[in-house]
Amino acid sequence: MAKKVTIRSFGQQLANYVVGEFTKRNKKAFQQRIIAAFQRIKQEMLDEFLEHPVSVEIAGGPDATNTSKTLDGYGNLFSFIGFTEGEEPLSPIIELLNASRIEHIRDTSDGFLMKIFIPASSDIFDVTPMPWADGRSWAEGIERGISGFGRYLNIDTITSRSGAGIESQGVIRRGKFKNSPYISALIGKYAKKFEQISNTVVFTGL
Amino acid sequence: MIPQFQHQQASSFVLWFDNYLLTKGRAFTNTTGDFVHYSDERVPSVYTPFGSKYKQWVCDSSISGATIPSGVYVNGAFVGRAVGADNSTSAQILDFDNGRVLLSGVATGASVTGSYAAKEFNVYYSNETEEDLLIENRFRPQSKIGTDLEFNYPAPYDQVVPAAYVCNASFKNTPFAFGGMQKTTTNFNTIVVAENPYQVDGVLSLFADSANQSFVDVPFDDFPFTEYGDLKSGLYDYEALKTRYANDNKYFIERVKTSKIADKPRKSLVNDLYIGFVDFDVSIMRYPR
Repeated sequence: MAKKVTIRSFGQQLANYVVGEFTKRNKKAFQQRIIAAFQRIKQEMLDEFLEHPVSVEIAGGPDATNTSKTLDGYGNLFSFIGFTEGEEPLSPIIELLNASRIEHIRDTSDGFLMKIFIPASSDIFDVTPMPWADGRSWAEGIERGISGFGRYLNIDTITSRSGAGIESQGVIRRGKFKNSPYISALIGKYAKKFEQISNTVVFTGL
Repeated sequence: MIPQFQHQQASSFVLWFDNYLLTKGRAFTNTTGDFVHYSDERVPSVYTPFGSKYKQWVCDSSISGATIPSGVYVNGAFVGRAVGADNSTSAQILDFDNGRVLLSGVATGASVTGSYAAKEFNVYYSNETEEDLLIENRFRPQSKIGTDLEFNYPAPYDQVVPAAYVCNASFKNTPFAFGGMQKTTTNFNTIVVAENPYQVDGVLSLFADSANQSFVDVPFDDFPFTEYGDLKSGLYDYEALKTRYANDNKYFIERVKTSKIADKPRKSLVNDLYIGFVDFDVSIMRYPR
């Protein structure tokens, strides 16, 4: 039986053919634009991470003020979490965000397909252990609540790991940690942004 | 206020946690011993308290091999507690939570002995934050009981370690299905305080394997304990309770993460104790509105 070909389906096929041919002939230029868009969004993601109040405060080290307001303005996160002076807790996260990549997968009937890989929140949680308990992540703790076990005195002391806080053997100070959106929100937001780039699929998890 | 979702969930979780630890970990020791009389102002004067060397006793009859007491020996004669609708009105009360017996009509100098299964890990539900629990508490180690004249029995409401403290950390609802169904996720953080690394590693290992388990929702009315820590009907069997609610909506343990306090910060604690954490994500689908 003869196949019925409607005007609309013919028009659609023609359009696909034209777009496909156009994309194939300009593949290199297209890919370069997609890669440029990827790099721009990746940089935006890194900048947003580094400008996040929590990141700014942690990067400030043991002398930073609690600009993130997670500690009611008292002390700072670097000492609260119990990092060692000179430590760079953000480095593993920057490294992972920087490892986000784009790869050409295959040519398709209407052009080509590229794959974008960005870290999953769990990848980041795996590389951000609490200084006093390896199985827990401080980055996850920012979102879900951090134990104030590394509660500190805001004084300089040689017994302090961070140079400005010590583990307490008595009651030092009240004040509850306030959770703040951090890594999961960032990854969720940028996964959506990367999805907007044409001819790509996004995968979380490196 | 009538009991809310969170009250019921927390008590259901604690019952599951206790049963899991005792069943899979066999974390109890059957023992026989003398009871020591002490005073307790919180107990009505009609009762004379006699405490054992241990804090919590196993009360769950589904734990195979555990000696569940039904009474004690007073001057050589067995005194059982009345098995009735509510043992809080009985003349003899077994306080499983404080490892003691409350007897009426018995002289303070009486010789009281009994057999029971002592928990190797006391289980407490706590409203304190982790830091308050770990920094402000002066834990009473079980191994020190009887070695010190001032501490020859655990005082009535002292918390004795090894112990697991269950804390209800946070709670959130996310839309799950049309019609108002929500996924409610609760984070239970459990702090394990032990006297040696073997104990803490054992509990962490046991509960790390509890991911993907489910447990039943036990209505508040079926919570087995009276105000004095005795059993409401004289018998508590978690397996039977579980069967009764087997067809109801269950809680699901989505994720379990375990961790231990590193040795260096651990040594800065007042007591030389070993601390571990078991963080549970528990979810249930429900219609909260």
